[in-house]
Amino acid sequence: MANLEHILRPPERDLPPYPAKFIFLATGEKMVVRQAAREEVPALLEAIDPLRTVVRDFYDIVAARTFAELLGWQRYRVRDEYCLVGLIDGQLVGLVNGRTLSPKVGISYHTLALRRGVRVGAHLFASKMEYHIEYLKQQYVYITAESPIGFRRWMLEYDLIQRPDIPHELGGVDVWTLTPELYHASKDRLVVGERPVPEDLMRKAETIQVPTEDQLVKQVTGKAKEGNS
Amino acid sequence: MKPMTGYQCTECGRVYHPARAVCLECGGRRFSELPLEDEGVLVTFTRLHALPMDFHTRTLMLGIVEFPSGVRALGQLGAEEVEMGMKMRPRWEIVRVLEGQKISGLKFYPVVD
Amino acid sequence: MRDVAIVGCGMTRFGRREEDLLGLLTEASLAALDDAGRGQGPVDALLVANMGSGILNHQTGVASALTDRLSLLPAPAESIENGPASGASAIKNAFLAIASGLYDVILVAGGEKMRAVTGWEATDFVASMSHPQGEYPYGITLPALAGMFARLHMAKYGVTSEHLAMVALKNHEHGALNPFAHIQQAVSMEGILHRPEAVVNNPPIAEPLRMFDCCPVSDGAAAVLLCAAEKAAEFPRPPIRIAGFGQATDTHAVHQRQDPLDLKAVRLASQAAFKMAGLKPGDIDVAELHDAFTILEIVESEQAGFFPVGRGHRALEKGQTRLNGKLPINPSGGLKARGHPVGATGVAQIVELVWQLRGQAGERQVDGAVNGFSCNFGGFGNNVLAFVLSGE
Repeated sequence: MANLEHILRPPERDLPPYPAKFIFLATGEKMVVRQAAREEVPALLEAIDPLRTVVRDFYDIVAARTFAELLGWQRYRVRDEYCLVGLIDGQLVGLVNGRTLSPKVGISYHTLALRRGVRVGAHLFASKMEYHIEYLKQQYVYITAESPIGFRRWMLEYDLIQRPDIPHELGGVDVWTLTPELYHASKDRLVVGERPVPEDLMRKAETIQVPTEDQLVKQVTGKAKEGNS
Repeated sequence: MKPMTGYQCTECGRVYHPARAVCLECGGRRFSELPLEDEGVLVTFTRLHALPMDFHTRTLMLGIVEFPSGVRALGQLGAEEVEMGMKMRPRWEIVRVLEGQKISGLKFYPVVD
Repeated sequence: MRDVAIVGCGMTRFGRREEDLLGLLTEASLAALDDAGRGQGPVDALLVANMGSGILNHQTGVASALTDRLSLLPAPAESIENGPASGASAIKNAFLAIASGLYDVILVAGGEKMRAVTGWEATDFVASMSHPQGEYPYGITLPALAGMFARLHMAKYGVTSEHLAMVALKNHEHGALNPFAHIQQAVSMEGILHRPEAVVNNPPIAEPLRMFDCCPVSDGAAAVLLCAAEKAAEFPRPPIRIAGFGQATDTHAVHQRQDPLDLKAVRLASQAAFKMAGLKPGDIDVAELHDAFTILEIVESEQAGFFPVGRGHRALEKGQTRLNGKLPINPSGGLKARGHPVGATGVAQIVELVWQLRGQAGERQVDGAVNGFSCNFGGFGNNVLAFVLSGE
């Protein structure tokens, strides 16, 4: 088995790291956005797994596909993949992933928000674009969307260019591209956060804590506590 | 609706856009067509971001303009940099495409002296 | 004309719900009937407040269906549609029926299932209230009308974005104490306004209004049981009297208003309600106003007579409208935090007032509240109802 690994495992490029930042959210909470390490994938899978049966808002397909992508990354079967996570007090509130196709071209995979109502998805998607354009120094990012929300948020917000001639890896659907020019035109409006992350905040963000299944379903589907006066 | 037209009550002279069945001032039911004047004043405006599905731009400028005859009308604005009190010129253009149907309406442009 | 009292009330939690419209209405209705100690009925009639069942849920004849669900047959029943003021309209009509002497006990249930459709469809549905020739074709949405109105009011009276944010902050704070609220999460002024991140946290919707100036899209239902005051002793709860109501209409197209800055229908409805109740704004201990947009809470507080015109934001600044203030406004969290299932809101405002006046509002209780006021704002102010409730 071991001697086939060199055939099955794609060669890897050393990707420049994503420098962590923190974002002050509407609630006053601070979300740290940092790159996840391969070793952290099991924790991420644990968080995503319960969402594979939540049909609402396309959580099931995004969770299922992201699960596969992250597992593929962990097991060295996807080339040059990365994952950025959003953490509030160490608790996972969202993640984004993608990979580089070549030094100049990146592919955006998914955006999964585990906490609603504080624009986690918007912030993390922006961080992903920041990574591709400003740190990976790419010329094109291929983006697609599974949900109408994603589509409006990204295709319109960033003024992406439709490329019907390029199929996206995720099912061959239409690619919409982001370029450095488009990115910088919208950056002030869409990409925020502060660097560096203060030491105490960074320490809390060292270990990814996974919400319980109950917490997760409640956060994602909005079922809150019942009560009475 | 006739393009660029106001509707004037034949009894009391108040002008409306769009048309009314009964005059608000005097209860009159007869109106004559009065072309909108070429220049009005921008009363208020907004830049709308959360657009209906059939719009493919990210934002849309909308405003209310008041004409010398007293009639006010709502329309889209053809400029981003506007101020309340600015002089605006009305035009009749396609403002929306709803289910394949082109809809014409008022679009206001700043008067450039 | 007889006095009318509220002898039972209940509501579902507002928010993203799994249940369908009839399910939500049933839940709220049973809660109200049980609260009144009349779980099995009978009632003399049912009124349902709802705006979108036909458009959003492909369901009509909702009142008849609900009467069957609740096994309250053969009671008479109808739906009332008055846009976002459907709730208050339904209560008003129940009041008239009981005051006339022809009915003794009426169940009023208001509900909406908005999240059956996408956000755009929900926005378009709400936009259907706008003028079909003069507004809708241009891409007008309710936020756009509110944005244009806000700009005018802010320019004339010196109201700032910070004032608008104060309304959101206050209502979120209140909503965090309300187990029925859609959003039970406080927000921070820095996070929604001052920090650089605010541009994403609180993006513009219809400038100058931003995301946190606009109420969420919610599912939910609320219900009240009304009864002739002279029969209220048959029910276990202390009756809360509907001391007065008022209603007024205004032009359909906002730009055809006499003065686009003047929410005249709010003023006329409020004045009529106070007149009928024999009370003044100064007699009110707690108010539920219609803050579909934060600017509306400020302006309604003026037009209802609580503060001079153009001074509502000053009272807000001074904290007078917070829970522990001189005149708590929206202790429930208002539309902003409690949520806004369109047909339910007017009824939910009354439910909150009933809880307050009974002393049952838990952590949100306004101490010693005796008289309450509500304002339910239909369209963009072209049909407004006001209620004055009294615990005396």
